[in-house]
Amino acid sequence: MQGIILRLRLVRRALNAEYVRMSVGHHSPPARPVIRMVILTATALCVGAAASFAAIAFVELVSMLNSALLVAPRARVQWEALPWLITLATLLVPTLGGLCVGLLHRHLSPERRPLGPPDVIRAVQFHRPLPDTRSGLVSSLTAVVSLGTGASVGQYGPMVYLGALCGGAVRNLRAGVPNLDGIAISCGVAAAIATAFNAPIAGLVFAHEVVLRHYATQAFAPVTVASVTGYVIANVVFERPALFLVDFAGVAHGYEFALFALLGLLVSLAAIGFMRLVLACGPWIARLISHPALRPGAAGLAVGLTALALPDVLGIGTETLRFATIEGAFGQGELVVLILAKILLTALCVGAGFSGGVFSPALLIGSLIGALFWVLVSGAGGIPTSGVAVYAIGAMMAFASAVIGAPLTCILIVFELTRNYDITIAAMVAVVFSNLVSHRLFGRSLFDIQLARRGMDFSRGRDRAHLAALPVRDLLSAEAVTMTPENTPEEIARHLTERGWRQAFVLDAGGKLVGVYSPGEGQHPATLTFEDDTSLADAMERMRGFVGDAVPVVARKDGRYLGAVSEADMVSAWLDHVARIREEENAAL
Amino acid sequence: MLRSSLAGLCIALCAPASAQDLTVATWGGAYEAAQRQAVFAPFSEATGHTVEAVEYDGTVVALRDRAEAEGWDVIDMLADQARVACAEGLLLRLDAEALTGSAALADFTPHAPTRCAIPQNVYARVMAYDERAFPGIKPTRIEDFFDTARFPGKRAVQHGPDGILEWALLAEGVPPEQVYGLLSTDRGLRLAFRKLETIRDDILWWDDPAQPAQMLAEGRAVMAAGFNGRFFDVAKRGAVPVDIVWDGRIIGTEVWAIPADAGSVLLARSFLTHALQPATMARFSERIPYGPARASAFERIGLNPETGVPMRVHLPNAPQHGGRALVRDAAWYANTRDLRQRRFRSWLDRAE
Repeated sequence: MQGIILRLRLVRRALNAEYVRMSVGHHSPPARPVIRMVILTATALCVGAAASFAAIAFVELVSMLNSALLVAPRARVQWEALPWLITLATLLVPTLGGLCVGLLHRHLSPERRPLGPPDVIRAVQFHRPLPDTRSGLVSSLTAVVSLGTGASVGQYGPMVYLGALCGGAVRNLRAGVPNLDGIAISCGVAAAIATAFNAPIAGLVFAHEVVLRHYATQAFAPVTVASVTGYVIANVVFERPALFLVDFAGVAHGYEFALFALLGLLVSLAAIGFMRLVLACGPWIARLISHPALRPGAAGLAVGLTALALPDVLGIGTETLRFATIEGAFGQGELVVLILAKILLTALCVGAGFSGGVFSPALLIGSLIGALFWVLVSGAGGIPTSGVAVYAIGAMMAFASAVIGAPLTCILIVFELTRNYDITIAAMVAVVFSNLVSHRLFGRSLFDIQLARRGMDFSRGRDRAHLAALPVRDLLSAEAVTMTPENTPEEIARHLTERGWRQAFVLDAGGKLVGVYSPGEGQHPATLTFEDDTSLADAMERMRGFVGDAVPVVARKDGRYLGAVSEADMVSAWLDHVARIREEENAAL
Repeated sequence: MLRSSLAGLCIALCAPASAQDLTVATWGGAYEAAQRQAVFAPFSEATGHTVEAVEYDGTVVALRDRAEAEGWDVIDMLADQARVACAEGLLLRLDAEALTGSAALADFTPHAPTRCAIPQNVYARVMAYDERAFPGIKPTRIEDFFDTARFPGKRAVQHGPDGILEWALLAEGVPPEQVYGLLSTDRGLRLAFRKLETIRDDILWWDDPAQPAQMLAEGRAVMAAGFNGRFFDVAKRGAVPVDIVWDGRIIGTEVWAIPADAGSVLLARSFLTHALQPATMARFSERIPYGPARASAFERIGLNPETGVPMRVHLPNAPQHGGRALVRDAAWYANTRDLRQRRFRSWLDRAE
């Protein structure tokens, strides 16, 4: 008996230590404000520059591979005299690329899967380290291979992760700045986006809207600096042009804004279908092909086969994105086929484990839907409009915004990509309506649903997600009194007085909880028990109306008593957490 | 830069006093005349070596057949031809940094020196129009070339796919950076020919680069696609009010190279050092409207010594031209020739 108690105590101590480490991070005492300012600025500059260079290197590598492996149209057309070579490359390149990705994940990555924005969000929200660096690097490498060999995945997810990886390195510095780990990661993310899209404002907002999810000055300032650093490197040093310049004179008719809203609604339904498909494809392929390393190869083959007839599905599709803004570039039937093919292939590639995001495919699918909508409205509907470009771009952002759950970012990306105010206003309408529907019917974003499926649910706020991620098991009190049916009431009473408790937990010979004993009332069944996976958030809710010192925690699988958590400990843990979040969200420096 | 050019001069000057000849293969005509005055003569004056110019047709075939037999030391080529020749090992590798100095490398525009070739001047395929045809509103953008409603009349276009397909996509609103990417797809070609179809009945085809300017002068066409130097000549010579629209200009690069089996490599190098100086480039551009390949040369360009015309405004890459400029992708051009010709022919045959 004594032995068990001693062992439990040791376990509890270890758990408590873990809890303390997790909840406050490994902070050294806070440094002086000036020092903190210097550290934050230096972090922003270094991480911003590193992430920006990494993003540029990433893009260049992918484009080199695309040219060398005959994925890019500009390279393919130059070998047009050898049609068998093009056919062979179309079939083999994505297939072998997929095999390569599968094998790299299988043999080199401890995580054995591609990493992306959900992992970044998790690390920042819970102040945990990113998955190990090796997995991160392998994931970035496989992303280069995936995109380079023409898989139907996006480049921005991996770039966000690459930026986060640069920021994650700062975690090991014990610099005495609270929240530095999350801020550094966000700096990397912002700089990567700023560089990739040539859009510093969007980078800044993306880091806040998707990753940080609060707007404290302490984070806002360095993230802005990092974003601008990325922009300066992309623009001044490398002189990269704006990605999507569009000539647009303005919206010609007032009623078109109603059309934009309608477009947003329709697009969101397509986006919901797309996201559900992406989520469903993973398990489906896993059932179909038991060997994980073979799955991306199979998806690659599917891409290659489709590309023989529809070369537009291959790779990132920069050219197709541009065609969507040109009137008459696609026939109506062609648009429908292409939209369906791109949706299916992207879901397949992501589900099969190709390393890459969903943002660029979302842009492409969205713009094609916009073009289709315009064809129907202006062609079949006979309604005069101000041209296909604004519909394509509005739908493009509306679709992407539903997928990444970042309406502000998407609106700003339109603005920074097109540098056109009129298009931004129009796209804004489509974006919000799309977001409204998809948030209501699906969830805030694909990332959030993916996280929720891993037990991190942000749909009811950050604080709730934090508490939901904290098991009460970590709060077990070392002092709780246990007894066996053989113990005499006197023994128990003495124990209880010694420790200042009013209740003891009665266990059978197998360590199972039988009931609760209190002097005077005798033994009765426990009114409330928690399981080993009960979270603090659930616990707090179930505590309504509970009377007593502590709640016993039992193993879900065999009912074995694990310990008890006192009401006071739960309340202080809750207070600590709320205070920590409040501090983080309001920190000035 | 100064140091290396001095070094180059020294090599030249320290050569044996019996003035050795340098053979330069170039294009002939007004172009060679301008080169003689601006590049060759000052070089001979400074070094005592005479320069002999040989005319050739600019092809790799000529380089292969004639270079060794005729003892070519330096050769003036189109960038895409030089790329092919370099890949075939017909050209000497050049260290641009040693020839021009490291600071000059960033000065080259729009193209930096490549393995075997160093840019010397740029020309452009541009759109020009007859002022007399449009007394009111004048064409200002490449879109206007395809707008026969606002600007009626015949258009002189080269009988082939070069240039006009790029313009067709530019007129569809495609930004210059994406034109070649889009033209690489079947869809892009279809779009370009669709645009071309809109002016099919208004096209006058030409084969000789001298023709478009002539067609404008004779009033046979109101707009023309052609090379900027030719339009400049017509405007300068006759009283024909031909004006160039710089929007949508397609810029090509002319380079210097040294054949792999050149006889006097040292002398050829010192010639390049001389020819690639901003002052030399500026002298050349004052005589013929081909822009210098170095940005700093623009500051020196003044009046044409014969006519007194300020030349800077007539250069295809003058910084003051607004509008879109497309830099010709030499490799893409070389490798897609057959495809574009084939598509062009089939489009032409579809005519009713």
